[in-house]
Amino acid sequence: MIALLRVELTRLRWRRAVVLLLLAAVVIPALVLAATAWNTRPVSEAERRNAELTVEREAEQPYMQRQLKRCEAKPERWGAAGGGADEVEAACAEAILPQAEWYLTRSPLDLVQEREEGSAIAVAVVLGALMLLLGTTFVGHDWNSGSMSNQLLFEPRRARVWLAKGLTVLAVTAGFAALVLAAYWTGLWAIASSRDLDLPDGTMTEAYQQVLRGAALCGVAGLGGYALTMLFRSTVATLGVMFAVALAGATLLGVLGVPTHHWVLPHNNAMAVLVDGIEFTVWERPGCDGGPRVPDRCVERITAFGGAVYFAVITLAASAASLASFGRRDVP
Amino acid sequence: MSELVIEAEGLRKEFRTRRGELRVAVQGLDLAVPAGGVHGFLGPNGSGKTTTIRMLLGLARATAGTMRLFGQPVPRRLPAVVGRVGAVVEMPKFSPNLTGRQNLLLLSRSIGAPDTRVDAAVESVGLTDRDRDRYKSYSLGMKQRLAIAATLLKDPELLILDEPTNGLDPAGIREIRDMIRGLGAAGVTVLLSSHILAEVQQVCSSATIIGNGRLLASGRVEDLVGGDAVHRISVPDAAAARSTLESAGFVVAPDSSGQPEGTLLVEAERPAEVTRALAGAGIWLSELTSMRPDLETVFLQLTAADTLGGHLTAHTGPDGGRS
Ligand SMILES: Nc1ncnc2c1ncn2[C@@H]1O[C@H](COP(=O)(O)OP(=O)(O)OP(=O)(O)O)[C@@H](O)[C@H]1O
Ligand SMILES: [Mg+2]
Repeated sequence: MIALLRVELTRLRWRRAVVLLLLAAVVIPALVLAATAWNTRPVSEAERRNAELTVEREAEQPYMQRQLKRCEAKPERWGAAGGGADEVEAACAEAILPQAEWYLTRSPLDLVQEREEGSAIAVAVVLGALMLLLGTTFVGHDWNSGSMSNQLLFEPRRARVWLAKGLTVLAVTAGFAALVLAAYWTGLWAIASSRDLDLPDGTMTEAYQQVLRGAALCGVAGLGGYALTMLFRSTVATLGVMFAVALAGATLLGVLGVPTHHWVLPHNNAMAVLVDGIEFTVWERPGCDGGPRVPDRCVERITAFGGAVYFAVITLAASAASLASFGRRDVP
Repeated sequence: MSELVIEAEGLRKEFRTRRGELRVAVQGLDLAVPAGGVHGFLGPNGSGKTTTIRMLLGLARATAGTMRLFGQPVPRRLPAVVGRVGAVVEMPKFSPNLTGRQNLLLLSRSIGAPDTRVDAAVESVGLTDRDRDRYKSYSLGMKQRLAIAATLLKDPELLILDEPTNGLDPAGIREIRDMIRGLGAAGVTVLLSSHILAEVQQVCSSATIIGNGRLLASGRVEDLVGGDAVHRISVPDAAAARSTLESAGFVVAPDSSGQPEGTLLVEAERPAEVTRALAGAGIWLSELTSMRPDLETVFLQLTAADTLGGHLTAHTGPDGGRS
């Protein structure tokens, strides 16, 4: 078994499509990290000066000046009354003239937000998709080239062959995703520290927990893609079936008027796993149509555990079907 | 009686076609391949050779029947014996983007063999200077050679070769033939499926002929092609020659196939026996043509009779070798 695992690891390494996917799994998060760093960069002196200039130019506009005069004449209408003339003037300027801050809206890097809804989620989702493709293409190629039968002439114990390939895919996809996600978070942390942003306690602990959850999801995606391809015996067929199920399933449920529960959809479950549970308001439920406070019975939750069970059940079912089919069916 | 390396009894394989019809590729086939030597496995296209081989190797599941390799029931005990069996099934099947060498390395490492085994295998099929090229850049013949190299990785006691010379050039065919013959002589049992019957006749000691998934004939090649050759002789005095030969114990018949007067057909192992007998009586031949039923003729008779359901008709063709 050890020999088989080593062989599958080598096969994985030698396969060009796999190498390209792993490369993409490094390059895309790196680009996202760079974009995140750029979009949250601190306001520079030049930008501030620019904004101040804009504000000054705005203030000199005649209508602004007219507005200012009116305020100074009737300060109570702008809530600027009270105090002496100087104070009224200052209060009116503040109430009416544009401020430089209005032009400097870029928000600084917020690691909590990145973890809960920001780029870290996007990176985990992209990695999951890439790992699914990896699991699919890795073994789709064996079927496509017919080399599967050759492999079975050397190791006819099919369950072993299935497990060796599956474990390799699982370990490589989960391991690689863990490395990339950890690197991504370390990158975010490095950016935050270099900007002297203070991080709430436990930010990074929670981040690295999310890394592990994301890695587990990526491993499940890789294994699932692998198992389905072993079942359908072709990369194209597998991707086609997944696409068709996603499309037809949603359409069918819609047409039949079956209410789609949130927990049915894979992305909700993935989200629940990544951010440790999510909540939805079910507006359709009687008595849940708005109001300032949403009553508790209108809220549905998917816990991280629930999401994990969802994926475990799907992956186990796919793997069992795949393993049984591979064990029985003729190999061309 | 020698030990049997491959045995099959009542082997049957059914396929469902796309339209749901039943297609019986192999029906009640019995197979017995003795240890040692090269055994031909012959049959027309679609007669079930590849299907039989795939069942023996555990790639396809038999619908009914039992099989044994080295006396072990397969596919149940296949893991125990597969290390002694090398096989090429139909087309060579490797990863196109890997080099020939990488393909072999993956296979040999999966059985824990040292990488040096790959060098030896590559060398023995003459691929040494191309083994680091991508498999997809190989010619058909090179692909076949790589497939044969893969079978040698295990140092097999039984080689199952399904049309191994398909796509090889004449020199390649001869090389593979010599290699097969050498392996057979070295004690490896070879099951050789091929459509080149002259080839098979040259290297095989025994053969099995199947048609429509059924056994048609099996045995030693000499027995399959029949006994002595037939020689057509032209003599000045046919009657004298005939009585001379008959008294010497030969089977003689007048040639009725529109030959000129004075032509006889004589059964004898060698033409020299005929000339010697006649020369002893002072009769000199003006012409002698030897005709030996070859495997191809026997094959065509058997398989034609099988497909047409007709009777076998004795029929001989000219012996190309003029032995
Ligand atoms: N996977 C399959 N599905 C359906 N029918 C099949 C399948 N494989 C083989 N057959 C059928 O089984 C029969 C035997 O095929 P097989 O490939 O064993 O013949 P063969 O003797 O090897 O022929 P050839 O000399 O052309 O290689 C054929 O009628 C073929 O169409
Ligand atoms: Mg065939």
